[in-house]
Amino acid sequence: MMDLSQQEQFDLDRLADDLGALPEAPLAMPLQRIETPVAGGLLTVLLRLRLRPVPKAGH
Amino acid sequence: MTSIAPKPHRVLVTRTVAVGASLAAAYGGFLLFLQFGAADGLDSFDILRSALIFASTFWLAWGAVTALAGLTTRPPQVPRQTGPLTARTAILVPVYNEDPVATFARIAAMGASLRATGFAHLFHFAILSDTRDDTIAARERMWFLRLIADTDGEGRIFYRRRDKNKGRKAGNIEDFIKRSGAAYDYAVILDADSLMEGATMVEMVRRMEAAPALGLLQTLPTIIHARSRFGRTMQFAGSFYSPIFARGLAMMQGSTGPFWGHNAIVRVRAFAASCALPELSGKPPFGGHILSHDYVEAALLARAGWTVRVDDDLGGSYEEAPENIVDHAKRDRRWCQGNLQHSRLLLAPGLKAWSRFVFVQGILAYIAPVFWLAFLAASIAAPLFAPPIDYFPIESWPFPVLPVSQVSKALGLAIGVVGLLFLPKVLIVIDAASSGRVRGFGGTVRAVHSTLTELLFSSITAPLFLMFQTRSVMQVLRGADGGWPAQTRGDGTLGLGDAWAASHWIVTTGVVVLGAAQWFAPALVLWLLPVALPMVFAPVLISWSSKPGRSGVFVTPTDIAPAPVMGLQAAVLQRWNLAPAPLAETAAVGADVARA
Repeated sequence: MMDLSQQEQFDLDRLADDLGALPEAPLAMPLQRIETPVAGGLLTVLLRLRLRPVPKAGH
Repeated sequence: MTSIAPKPHRVLVTRTVAVGASLAAAYGGFLLFLQFGAADGLDSFDILRSALIFASTFWLAWGAVTALAGLTTRPPQVPRQTGPLTARTAILVPVYNEDPVATFARIAAMGASLRATGFAHLFHFAILSDTRDDTIAARERMWFLRLIADTDGEGRIFYRRRDKNKGRKAGNIEDFIKRSGAAYDYAVILDADSLMEGATMVEMVRRMEAAPALGLLQTLPTIIHARSRFGRTMQFAGSFYSPIFARGLAMMQGSTGPFWGHNAIVRVRAFAASCALPELSGKPPFGGHILSHDYVEAALLARAGWTVRVDDDLGGSYEEAPENIVDHAKRDRRWCQGNLQHSRLLLAPGLKAWSRFVFVQGILAYIAPVFWLAFLAASIAAPLFAPPIDYFPIESWPFPVLPVSQVSKALGLAIGVVGLLFLPKVLIVIDAASSGRVRGFGGTVRAVHSTLTELLFSSITAPLFLMFQTRSVMQVLRGADGGWPAQTRGDGTLGLGDAWAASHWIVTTGVVVLGAAQWFAPALVLWLLPVALPMVFAPVLISWSSKPGRSGVFVTPTDIAPAPVMGLQAAVLQRWNLAPAPLAETAAVGADVARA
């Protein structure tokens, strides 16, 4: 048997989708290049510094 | 049309003076502390502390200098243009797990405000949902139908929900432009809590039309609807001080002004051609999506030759703000990660020098508190490493040589730092009293009362923000990604238990700091009390400040005379709260709309 409340919700969703549909007018957005090929500046290196666990010597 | 942007040579002079004065203040602080620290012999702790003072003082001085610059001029009196308008504008409202009733009521109010201008047919609203919660998304659809039924908005108000929220807010807007961007000349970008007068949006379009090289025009949003003590303090500070800081910023912006992510208009084709953001290599927090995309988009527009400008004379632009310190700190955590991530872009190809400096400012805003804390820690530790005082430094001289007290230098530095913090605010009060601006804040007496209360409140809570910001920076540096938590809005009252849960680590730190100072450097205890005591009482402060504030203090212009669009918003909310649409009824209303 069909769940009427689910059907109601489905209709509502479809209605919202139909009424809310954005205008189709595509516009290209070319991806920008913002990273430098070099590893990074001094500040970047400093900011990325963090303590890393190192294996113990000996034993 | 009256020229709004300052002349390039004036911009250059203002920038040079501002940067020079800030560097001079920082160098002064550095020298003063070096002399103080070196009185008993120069050691590495003295150099470290002096360097920390340099960086922190530069940041403080930069804020003060911006305000001082802002006090030297007034926003230009630009006459509003009239006449026909043909450009089409999309008003973008990105939402992410927001309350649809509150958000859509703002849209209905802005729609009504636009109708009053006679140009509503040229403005379309696009609700761009990135909501992940299906229950909230279902309510969004229900209230969207109510919104278009109520405003006769079919064909003018759109709603779409993305399956995946790739690129977060920046990706959400990019998705809209890729699908529908060619239909519009301009896009007003809002936040879910933004509210703007129709006349302001029309004026923004006119200014874009009048300046073909203008890629982005930012307004100065005023905080409204704050209820808690904390919220009202922020609202007052935003309304009273921010216009002066924005004026200073406008004097220095040139063609590389700011973009704060919302309450701004962009030229769609310029934005599309310049602002598609790639993911940064590596993992978050430094790699992945660009979190604070607005600063980057402003820099990219400027790189492509477009002008980015903040017009501080434009009124009618509003937003809401967190109601308690914890919500503020959560938002700040995201901004912290976003600003530190900009360190990856400092050397991005082709950026204007000022855009790079803006990135540095953002980084400093979060690093400076860490420097202050490091300075305090180094000061507590310094006595451990200081050599014993030599009372007989001259051989064969039988009398002791007592060291010269350097307390005056430390006091001078402290007064300088406090001056940098307080002087701009004091001058802003004097300026507001002399210009008559205080009328909007309840008159001179009430404005002075509010300012003094704000100074007291911000001084007491500063150590808490110092701790929250330091923790945020540390989390980012150790690689923890803050994710994309939804913004908490509405009543932000916090009980003592919630406040304790969010700040017990600050209490512990405060107790440890006081204990360590008492143990290692008892002379410092008195100096540290203004910092350590608020930390010890953090939960009380957080809970107390989240409670509703008294109406007599922190009066702002929108308290005295609410903006017309605020009245429209209140009317819509009242109507919707009186008759919330049940599911079936809404469906029927929606079906009627569809048939019509």
